[in-house]
Amino acid sequence: MEKRNARLTYSLIVIVSLLTVAPVIMLVIGSFSNNLNSFGNFTLKKYAAVYTDPMLIDILGDTAAFVLGSALFATVLAIFLAYLNNRTDIPFKFLFKIVSVMPMMIPHVLFAVSWALLLNPTNGILNMWLTRLFALPKAPFNIYTIPGMIVVEGLLDLPVAYLIISPAMGSFDATLEESSRVFKAGPLKTLFRITLPVLRPAIMASFILCVVRALASFAVPSVLGMPGRIYVLSTFIYRVVSMSLIADYGKAAAIGMSILVISISLIYVYRYYTRASDKFVTVSSRGFKPSVVELRKGRIPLFIIVLFISALLILLPVVVLFYTSLVPYVMVPGAKAFAAMSWDNWKTVIKDPISVRSLKNSLFLGIAGATVGSFLSVLVAYVIVKVKTKAAGVLESISFLSFSFPGIVIGIGFMWYFVRTPLYATIWALFFGYIATYLPYGIRPMTSAFIQIHGSLEESSLVCGASFTTTLRRIVLPLLVPGFVSAWILLATMFFRELSISVVLSRPGTETLAVQILRFSEDGQWGKLSALGLIMIFVSTAMVLAVNALGAYFKPGAVREKKRGGVKAGLKAAV
Amino acid sequence: MEINVRGLKKYYQSEGKVIKALDGVDLTIEANKIFTLLGPSGCGKTTLLRCIVGLETPDEGEIRIGETIVWSKEKGLYVPPEKRELGMVFQTYAIWPHMNVFNNVAYPLQNMKLPKDEIADRVAKTLKFVQLEGFENRPSTRLSGGQQQRVALARALVAEPKVILFDEPLSNLDAKLREETRKELRVFLTELQITAVYVTHDRVEALALSDMIGVMNKGKIVELGTPRKIYFDADHRFVADFIGRSNLIPAKLLRQEKLHTIVETPIGEIACHKRTFEQDAELVLCLRPEFINTEKPSDEHTNRVTGIIRQMTFVGEVYEADVRIGDETVLVKLDPETTLVEGDELTLSMKPDHCLLVSR
Repeated sequence: MEKRNARLTYSLIVIVSLLTVAPVIMLVIGSFSNNLNSFGNFTLKKYAAVYTDPMLIDILGDTAAFVLGSALFATVLAIFLAYLNNRTDIPFKFLFKIVSVMPMMIPHVLFAVSWALLLNPTNGILNMWLTRLFALPKAPFNIYTIPGMIVVEGLLDLPVAYLIISPAMGSFDATLEESSRVFKAGPLKTLFRITLPVLRPAIMASFILCVVRALASFAVPSVLGMPGRIYVLSTFIYRVVSMSLIADYGKAAAIGMSILVISISLIYVYRYYTRASDKFVTVSSRGFKPSVVELRKGRIPLFIIVLFISALLILLPVVVLFYTSLVPYVMVPGAKAFAAMSWDNWKTVIKDPISVRSLKNSLFLGIAGATVGSFLSVLVAYVIVKVKTKAAGVLESISFLSFSFPGIVIGIGFMWYFVRTPLYATIWALFFGYIATYLPYGIRPMTSAFIQIHGSLEESSLVCGASFTTTLRRIVLPLLVPGFVSAWILLATMFFRELSISVVLSRPGTETLAVQILRFSEDGQWGKLSALGLIMIFVSTAMVLAVNALGAYFKPGAVREKKRGGVKAGLKAAV
Repeated sequence: MEINVRGLKKYYQSEGKVIKALDGVDLTIEANKIFTLLGPSGCGKTTLLRCIVGLETPDEGEIRIGETIVWSKEKGLYVPPEKRELGMVFQTYAIWPHMNVFNNVAYPLQNMKLPKDEIADRVAKTLKFVQLEGFENRPSTRLSGGQQQRVALARALVAEPKVILFDEPLSNLDAKLREETRKELRVFLTELQITAVYVTHDRVEALALSDMIGVMNKGKIVELGTPRKIYFDADHRFVADFIGRSNLIPAKLLRQEKLHTIVETPIGEIACHKRTFEQDAELVLCLRPEFINTEKPSDEHTNRVTGIIRQMTFVGEVYEADVRIGDETVLVKLDPETTLVEGDELTLSMKPDHCLLVSR
């Protein structure tokens, strides 16, 4: 048994290293090389080129504004929503659940595009409508600006911030606030001197994770930043490898290294704050439940605000995309637009060979990638939870390595790596790149599933006379189903809409859906984009529902009450 | 300061049922006394305390602290907790984890906007009083349970309130520390000359600490009295039963004598502490195990009954024995070094003053 475990541990260390450690090493070596064809000839030229680039100052400034702004926006909004949900009598609390699972439903690139369709300065639907209504000289809004990017990225990161802050708010010991009231502080003073400071670690953790995500974000900076000539570090890399005459992978690696260092240090700080948060927020088992604040007159207006935010997150992108997919060119909704509506965009997309190929590729990557990724996750999680050797610890750290990697950076690392293998420019490059990068999201739900299977459950089965394989089949596997389903759904949806690794690794023939949508967006082919985007949303939703149903069918009775929690639990675990 | 509660009602809705947490409470708590609200969990004692401090709003009635009406349904008055000038020690202590000891204790003074050096002075003085000198800069996450309890007490005392409220402040300490802290608390509170309202479900705590006890059940104050009155001379069966272990034996009034009330019970005729009842009243005789004598009785007025030991359980300081007398079983305490064994015959004697009669 032990020998078998050790063999499993070491084989997994080799496999996972090839997936996660190798691209980092290649990125490091690449950043000291001239270009793909002169790998390993040590040079500092590329770092010099990056740090003397005249654009760099602007890029760093814009990156800081974008990243900090969106993290602040997401965190403040999350505090607001978490407070309303956990501590007040606001009606229809299920809305908050929607807000927290939203990111699984709508790909980021489509979300960004839908805002561009509404608020771009030349023919944004809302802009045109407002201009006509109030006879304005020019469009009132421009989404291709830093504030525009901040709002959209902030809304995209809101669920992550919410999933960190809301539980902390929910387990808040209300007597901390009550005692403040007794000791002569009013409600507002209590909020600022007690409630928010006690939640500070959770708030900081949320803020930092949002910073890391915004730093890694590619969809928003590429769709909303580049048209306005606003570059952040991730789009700077993209520009270096795909918008200049000669793709400079050495320089891209050098930029990537800088992002990686920032990102890894931030994740380190993030871990510190999550630990501090656990220490700070103590739930008193016998104390009173958090008192519910009665909103009285504010109840309905605040509810409308929440409703509005949920609508922005879910309804707006779908409606805008659907409308755009039906009209021949961007026009203000009205009789004229209605008369011009047709299914032409849909027909063109279905016949467009590249779009069809990208759908097939993404489907393959989603289904096959998630399946292989989930099985790898099961094995890794098994070793992490049940085999508690030093080697298992090593496996854990290398498996979670990629958690702090921005996709486009790891993509550059893979480029340096795969160009030396036959995988280069095949769909398998994307396949392995995805699995490596998103491995932590598969492992987290599986480790929680394994932790649930207490050793005595297996042992009592063995004592009851069941063989090892019977125990595995009748006890262990059924208990693993929920975890496996969460891992699979999480990976499949992430793979299906993956953008930031794909823009680096995808080549003609291996296009993916998100890349194809980005191309349409760059060419301003909004109608086709919307049709393809909606197909993407339908397919991915259908996939999630089907697997959830399948999982519910196999789920053992004991865990059944956690219905529909799969995706959210998985995402939460990954956070 | 005196606390006056009149006709206080508080109802909750829970799963379609109405729970009467407070069902018309009338109560006067004398100034500068330690008053304890004692009762089983769910009896409404904590709700009453939270209404007094202002963390909960009653449905009906009036609360007066000193001369000020802090809540009145009729007059539409509500003074928020921060304006009631009370001190309180919470069950969980509610020590703010993001502040050090100094800031926790100084908080009420800071909210009164006192000058900084006065705050420092008073905090130092109060910390000395609770024997936490020099703990000012200790982060509050690094305090033991007993220290947290002292910080909570210091915070409640620092603004020198006229009234201090305690919500089961000892229930989170381990048994030994609880006993020590209880004694200290009694000393502190007596020294301070302050009105203290103390909520607990622990009868020993209540007896040891209080000048006055109010026993609550089902949202009502059942009985008020000094610890000795509640223990020895309770008027209600619930109180007699709740305040200590009791053998409860059905009894019938036979006659009133000059010094005693005589009743007929399944264990024989018993002379009891004198109390007037209606003729033929259905009564209950309460016999506390600790007052059942198994040695040679010295007093000629003592009641005597004979029984057989059915079962003996060794619990350390005593043997607890079930003694069968006729059809009744009576719990008695035997010396731990006793030579008696199960099946032995045993004569029990009780002073009439310790035989308490309550109505059924």
